[in-house]
Amino acid sequence: MKAWLYFSPKMVNKAVITDMIKNFDVSFNILRADINSQGGKMLIDITGKGAEDGISYIENEGIVVSRIKRVVKKDEDICIDCGACVSLCPVRAISLESDWTVEVNDKECIGCKLCTYSCPTKAIKVVE
Amino acid sequence: MKTIEDINKRIKDGDAVVVTAAEMSQIVKENGAEQAANDIDVVTTGTFGAMCSSGAFLNFGHTDPPIKMTKTYLNGVEAYSGIAAVDTYIGATQPSRNPEIGIEYGGSHVIEDLIRGKDVELVADSYGTDCYPLTELKTHINIENLNDAVMVNPRNSYQNYAAAVNSTEETIHTYMGTLLPEMGNVSFSSAGGLSPLLNDPYFKTIGLGTKIFLCGAEGYVIGEGTQHNTEVQRKNGVPVNGAGTLMVKGDMKQMDPEYVRGATMPKYGSTLYVGIGIPIPILDSNIAQRTAISDEDITCQVMDYGIPKRSKPIVMETNYKELRSGSIEINGVEVETSPLSSYKKAVQISEELKNWIDNGDFMLSNPVKLLPSQGRSPRPLKIRRQTMLVNEIKSKPLITANPNDEIGDVAKRLVQNNVNHLPVVDVDQKLLGIVTSWDIANAVAKEKNRLKDVMTKKVVIAREDEPVDIIARRIDKHEISGLPIIDKNNHVKGMITAEDISRLMCVKNREEGI
Repeated sequence: MKAWLYFSPKMVNKAVITDMIKNFDVSFNILRADINSQGGKMLIDITGKGAEDGISYIENEGIVVSRIKRVVKKDEDICIDCGACVSLCPVRAISLESDWTVEVNDKECIGCKLCTYSCPTKAIKVVE
Repeated sequence: MKTIEDINKRIKDGDAVVVTAAEMSQIVKENGAEQAANDIDVVTTGTFGAMCSSGAFLNFGHTDPPIKMTKTYLNGVEAYSGIAAVDTYIGATQPSRNPEIGIEYGGSHVIEDLIRGKDVELVADSYGTDCYPLTELKTHINIENLNDAVMVNPRNSYQNYAAAVNSTEETIHTYMGTLLPEMGNVSFSSAGGLSPLLNDPYFKTIGLGTKIFLCGAEGYVIGEGTQHNTEVQRKNGVPVNGAGTLMVKGDMKQMDPEYVRGATMPKYGSTLYVGIGIPIPILDSNIAQRTAISDEDITCQVMDYGIPKRSKPIVMETNYKELRSGSIEINGVEVETSPLSSYKKAVQISEELKNWIDNGDFMLSNPVKLLPSQGRSPRPLKIRRQTMLVNEIKSKPLITANPNDEIGDVAKRLVQNNVNHLPVVDVDQKLLGIVTSWDIANAVAKEKNRLKDVMTKKVVIAREDEPVDIIARRIDKHEISGLPIIDKNNHVKGMITAEDISRLMCVKNREEGI
């Protein structure tokens, strides 16, 4: 599951994330982070049996959790299945299928929009 | 040995055996080229790639009162109108004249919109003549109402094309797409084993008059494309880089938007994705053998687009099988690859063309003249240094002398101002002669007192609006070291000397990093 975690200034110095990883059965990956003493936000991908409990824990500790309902969409009418986007995706969420159709994997997408920006026909859109 | 007439008869009778280039590779591998040449009549190829050198001639028809259009804009994109009164050529890479839109909507998008049957705004200007009095118009056109909408692409379907990487530390934006820093990805653009000119690498069947699939319609090869290059390195009989090109033509009114698309390479420009399929008649076993080429037999050079030079360094050689696998190894690192042309559409085109022929809807044509297969190699364009004019040179303040000045005074003036030349002028600043430090030395030696006795009266001059290059040549020719600069009214404006010119060259060389 991917989510944005928002930190208020008073949360920045607390080891909430460390505690969550210690206490719950989760695997935790930071995809993007922008935090300073004034607070900030972090995009995480959290998996494992304890993921839901872990999220509840950090929410109780004061971190605002915003689960990602982002949808990366390929417009079938516009896409020419060239594949220019494939090698640009940092998380390999885009691939060419056996019939050379470009496939976008919504679950893997982190919403960097490099594909959207680079698509020659503007066929890929990331909607939050 | 077969002829195109034999093949056409079989197409007409429904007996022709047509396969795609992908199928042919397997057939030749299994049965050999001799047998394949007996069994197979036509091999269909296909490609669907970004082809910048594309465009269309449009004829709007005459208005009443008539207009001789000198500037035309289609949905804000300028088309070339220096052809008669109501003809225009819209080029694929022309950006919108609206700077806020720019490359996001260019000539290629206009072409796509026309083919899609959309209305397109036409704005035209003219200077007005007795027979064409109208000086401006604004209306909407639709492909249905155009007299002619003819796609004519000067350079399409490159025989092969280098793949691109970027060795610099910054992402760059090229006509090969977005290239990530430190060779973070590879972009390539060829249909490989399906590509038309790779299946007839010595142009034994393709030439002026070859009927082809062009953007979903029947089109024609109308000759070799611009920059057609035959003097290239080959491996397995096919060029390892660019090489041959096609000039093609087709009726846009018959085209299918499925096989043509306006596109924009970010921060580069608009371009047109063109779908081309060429039928290769299998006239003999040699031609059959050539059409058997497959992705792994076609070498592709990987070039560093981080170096913005005409000759980019070759990083490595690979082939289309490796490129299509999703990644290649560069200097021991797996790097992901991206095709820029659509292989899916290339396959579709080769199959669609096959269907046309199978159904008897498409007969082959005998080319009038085959594409040149030797003696063609495009030359680069040499640019002269940007021309600088005499009045653009930073020169010293004007110091002059009078014919009646004493030699001693003139000598002082030369020393004080640190110059070697003084133009001699009258009260109106008109040129009478020139004096140099050597003339002064001469005067002292000969005990002359007045300047007019030693000055040179026949003076080689420089005009204000002459290029500095010309002056340099004049200095050399007349074996002199400086010329007075003269304006339109023959007034002296200053001096230009050999020193000024050598200083200018130093600055230019520094700017050019020489």
